Amino acid sequence: MQWLQILVLGLMLGGVYAVMASGLTLIFGVMRIVNLAHATFILLAAYLTFFLFDLLGVDPILSIAITIPVLFLVGVGVYLVLFPRIENSPRFVESTVLLTFGLALLLEGTMGRTFTGTYRLVRPSYGVESFLIGDLYIPKGQLYALIVSAVLLLLLAALLYGTRIGGSIRATMQNRTAAQIVGVNVRRTMALSFGIGIALAGASGTLLSFLFPFFPASHWEWVPVMLALVVLGGLGSLKGALVGALGLSVVAAFVMSEFGPTWQPMTFFLALFLILLVRPQGLYGKPLEA
Amino acid sequence: MATVTPEELERRRAELARAETRAARQNRVLRLLVAAIALGLLAFPALRGTFSAFNYVIQVLIVIMMFTAMASSWNIMGGFAGYISLGHNVFMVIGAYVAGMLLVYRGVSPFISVFLGVALAVVVGVLFGLVTLRTRGPAFIIASIALLLMTRLMLDNWDAIEGANGLSLPIPDFFPTLGKVPMYYGMLAAAFGAVGLAYGISRSKFGLALRAIAMDEIKAEVAGIDTRRYKIIALALSAIFIAWAGTFWGYTLNYLRPSAFLSVAIAADMALMSIVGGKGTVAGPPIGAFLIILVTELSVWLFGPSELNLAISGTILIVVLLFFPLGIVGTLQSRQRDRLARLRAAVEDTGEAVMKGA
Repeated sequence: MQWLQILVLGLMLGGVYAVMASGLTLIFGVMRIVNLAHATFILLAAYLTFFLFDLLGVDPILSIAITIPVLFLVGVGVYLVLFPRIENSPRFVESTVLLTFGLALLLEGTMGRTFTGTYRLVRPSYGVESFLIGDLYIPKGQLYALIVSAVLLLLLAALLYGTRIGGSIRATMQNRTAAQIVGVNVRRTMALSFGIGIALAGASGTLLSFLFPFFPASHWEWVPVMLALVVLGGLGSLKGALVGALGLSVVAAFVMSEFGPTWQPMTFFLALFLILLVRPQGLYGKPLEA
Repeated sequence: MATVTPEELERRRAELARAETRAARQNRVLRLLVAAIALGLLAFPALRGTFSAFNYVIQVLIVIMMFTAMASSWNIMGGFAGYISLGHNVFMVIGAYVAGMLLVYRGVSPFISVFLGVALAVVVGVLFGLVTLRTRGPAFIIASIALLLMTRLMLDNWDAIEGANGLSLPIPDFFPTLGKVPMYYGMLAAAFGAVGLAYGISRSKFGLALRAIAMDEIKAEVAGIDTRRYKIIALALSAIFIAWAGTFWGYTLNYLRPSAFLSVAIAADMALMSIVGGKGTVAGPPIGAFLIILVTELSVWLFGPSELNLAISGTILIVVLLFFPLGIVGTLQSRQRDRLARLRAAVEDTGEAVMKGA
């Protein structure tokens, strides 16, 4: 039965992973931006959640209602400052990698300066409690995180497939020029998509804040995880992000139980190299070219 | 062009000639300047004992020369071939650990074992190239970061080399009499070697092929360049002096610890220095290295060592990418090229007009 326990734990984390990866893949899909700073926005939201909980006693799950709009605005602002200027650069995708790398360093340094390097963890009561169903342990925190993630992903799907804005976003993903011709305001759509992507990072940051301890440099732990998830699914593919997240989180859970938590990150590195070698476009994506 | 006269043509010819002489004179002055800097660096240790800040200055010079070596080497791949890597310090840690281990357990001097570290780094470079150079652009950058973080994870948990705690090197016999001067010359060799290598490549057919790859890989392939082989060779060459610098950086620090070599900050600095100075130019990376270390030292002096350095590096990278994507040397070069081209075009136009009028 132990394998069932591991499978369940893996799948529960997969939900949070999927939220994380869907933001990153949305940003790439719409704008061809590889956002290396995605994980620093996750941390930013985690810190926001931490201080809301610590100073005001706001429950971390409720604080999603704050981190999502805040990070959305941050995302739109960052997009407008950084990206329109390099829009016509001949090596756009590559420039975005470097630019967001610079942004990641800037944010990491600023967070280190402001919040110090201390490990933080939000500790609501459900962070340490578990349900026991038969022989299965279901940690409450992870279960709640999974439920919230599922709701968020459904909302994202509803937004993308049920609204006009969602239509513009999907049209821009498919063909930017054609979308422009049929009257989509591409610039606004891109700013909105970046905002939504960062808002999703914010939501996952809030959920991670009570699942894993974090500190300013710990976003580097999440960079390979996220990249492996989205590269496996195919950059720009939301379906791929979901499949990649659930698949890899289960594999990582088994690796962890077999080789210990130290080597668990190795799953993501090896997966990343393997995918880039065998099928660089991932399961459902377009080829990753400059 | 009705008013063009032979006198006007003469005037424009003279202007072009003046601009060309000026460019040639500037080049000569720059050459002299480079020679002077090289001689100054060679002679600097003679000042040992003459002023109290010597130990600080030599340390800063070692750091500048280390980053000159590393940024120049990075530039072979990132600038000439256009394959940006954020994991090149993996070669640095190879150089440091091979030499450090041999020093601790076998007593081999780093001045000998440096060649072993370089050889291993080249082998790793070729292997990494074989695996990752099937990808291109952003996928290669992602693979390089993954390589860096993965190597860090492995070294941090490798008990045989003391993992994340690292280990101390023995204090060398020469230390009481010579201080860090031998390390200084070791690092000087890395800097000279890397800049020399970059210069050689930039003037060779091989360098031309790399530039073709950077501009349009498919066209380069069609033109008969074996792009895969060239890229792997470029990656291997770029490993040489990074490993060399790593050897002497470990020796200078007198300890080995994965975090001292495999930090994202060092990976960022190599790219940052090349980009600030001018990606794909020979003079760019050394100038970038000098400026960035200056800024770093200044910020340490003003605010103390802190995470602020990281934020400053990030800000500089963003600003340069947005506003001066060609870097310092690249911008100056393209400005001079544009000016000369404009003057030449003016001479030709006037010449034609005069001929037609005559």
